[in-house]
Amino acid sequence: MTPALMCEDLWKTYQRHRAIGVKSLLLGADTPRETRFSREWALSEVGFEVPRGRSFGVIGPNGSGKTTLLSILLGTVQEDRGRVSLNGRVASLLELGAGFHGDLTGRENVFLYGSILGMRLAEVRQRFDRIAEFSELEDAIDTPLRTYSAGMVARLGFSTIINSPAEILLIDEVLAVGDTRFQAKCHQALREFRARQGTLVIVSHNMKELNEVCDEGICLELGRVVDAGPIARVVVRYQERMAAMAPGKAAGGAPGNR
Amino acid sequence: MSAADRSLPQLAELLYVLVRKELKARYKNRFLGYVWALANPFAFAFVYWIAFKFIMRMEIENYSLFLITGMFPWVWLSVGVTGATRSFIVNASLIKKVNLPRAILPLGNVAQEMVHFGFALPAIIAFLWFAGEIRPNASWLWQVPVLLALQVAFVYPLALSFALANAYVRDIEYLVGIGFSLMFFATPMVYPISMVPEEFRYYFELNPLHAMMQSWRTLFLQGTLDAGHMAYAAAFAAVTGVIAWLLYRKLARRIGELV
Repeated sequence: MTPALMCEDLWKTYQRHRAIGVKSLLLGADTPRETRFSREWALSEVGFEVPRGRSFGVIGPNGSGKTTLLSILLGTVQEDRGRVSLNGRVASLLELGAGFHGDLTGRENVFLYGSILGMRLAEVRQRFDRIAEFSELEDAIDTPLRTYSAGMVARLGFSTIINSPAEILLIDEVLAVGDTRFQAKCHQALREFRARQGTLVIVSHNMKELNEVCDEGICLELGRVVDAGPIARVVVRYQERMAAMAPGKAAGGAPGNR
Repeated sequence: MSAADRSLPQLAELLYVLVRKELKARYKNRFLGYVWALANPFAFAFVYWIAFKFIMRMEIENYSLFLITGMFPWVWLSVGVTGATRSFIVNASLIKKVNLPRAILPLGNVAQEMVHFGFALPAIIAFLWFAGEIRPNASWLWQVPVLLALQVAFVYPLALSFALANAYVRDIEYLVGIGFSLMFFATPMVYPISMVPEEFRYYFELNPLHAMMQSWRTLFLQGTLDAGHMAYAAAFAAVTGVIAWLLYRKLARRIGELV
């Protein structure tokens, strides 16, 4: 059976002068040096596959290429080399409230977001009651989104994608805002999603959440896959590496502490 | 549900919700919402009427009608294109975080300004009737939609091309703004082309914006379709359409990392 999601030997570099202006065209641009956030390859040699019905976690420090990877999977950023293939309808929750508009009500935003994700309005209408119920926004569903808290926006966004007909979900660090009970409900919904053969790729810094939700995963550092395998093992090794690099540890005790 | 495989009805619905979003956001909490859509073009027309008819005493027949019938399509053109030029920047989160066909964003601006123009049509017709005793003609029922379609075809390639260019070089949005200010006076908008000295008139006739605007004026003031100007506007739309399509194929893929 073909995997739901597969990528092979992905390479990606960003032009380091992102938007050129007349000034840099006229005066020429100086070459920046390589740093953690400014290196030649944002991603190099990244490859993995996720079978249908499985859940895949991506971890790594800030600036290691996690969001770039998700953007390439989604198709909003173009890879330089390599191959991506997704088999199924995709829905993404990469940013809290992306596609939402503050002046529209929660209800109107569900239709807007659903349509942006590629649903027909009839499909959204048919699923609306489930979405509203899952979000637990109750009467607030008919008030403008700008009156919502971040947690309420997250609920609405998550409720929409989890009730969409998507077969592949891409989620970037957006579940952290809901309260504990709602997070538990999200995890339950994600388990049910997988039980119906849905495939999930999730980027998170919440190791407990990843352990709970994912089967396998990779760890990215400086755009390379440094570890891959069962999520629990990837998480433990990542935490060990991070602990070794933590400030204070390397110097052998807190500095200035006599 | 990726960008590539959206059907036409899906795209139509997406355009509809995007335009409705903008219109709702603009008119919510505004008591005089509809009036504001009309106020701007009428105010400009009034200012030019004062300046040219009242102060400079230009001898132009039906000057107020001439101004009004050009002003509204011009506002659609210029506001639509300037808004569209910024559309990828303004909607950066849609570009980066959800996969939607990017060409639909500038189309949203063009459609939105078309809706405003449509809202204004009754006011334009009322003005023609009361100030110029021009009765609305039943044939406008099909002639106006023909010109609406022509103007969409005329405006959208410009909107899409400038939007793409602006994602790469941000200065474009200022150039477009200045360009429309200059073109407003370089195009016979506040003066009829007959006032242009004869040896230059040919060059003014070459301006495709004039062809588009004159098509509207001829319809409103003479009640007929202006085949010559319409054909020229359509030819321009076809050429810019091809250019915009080529630009889109070449440039659209990268804008996710530029905005």
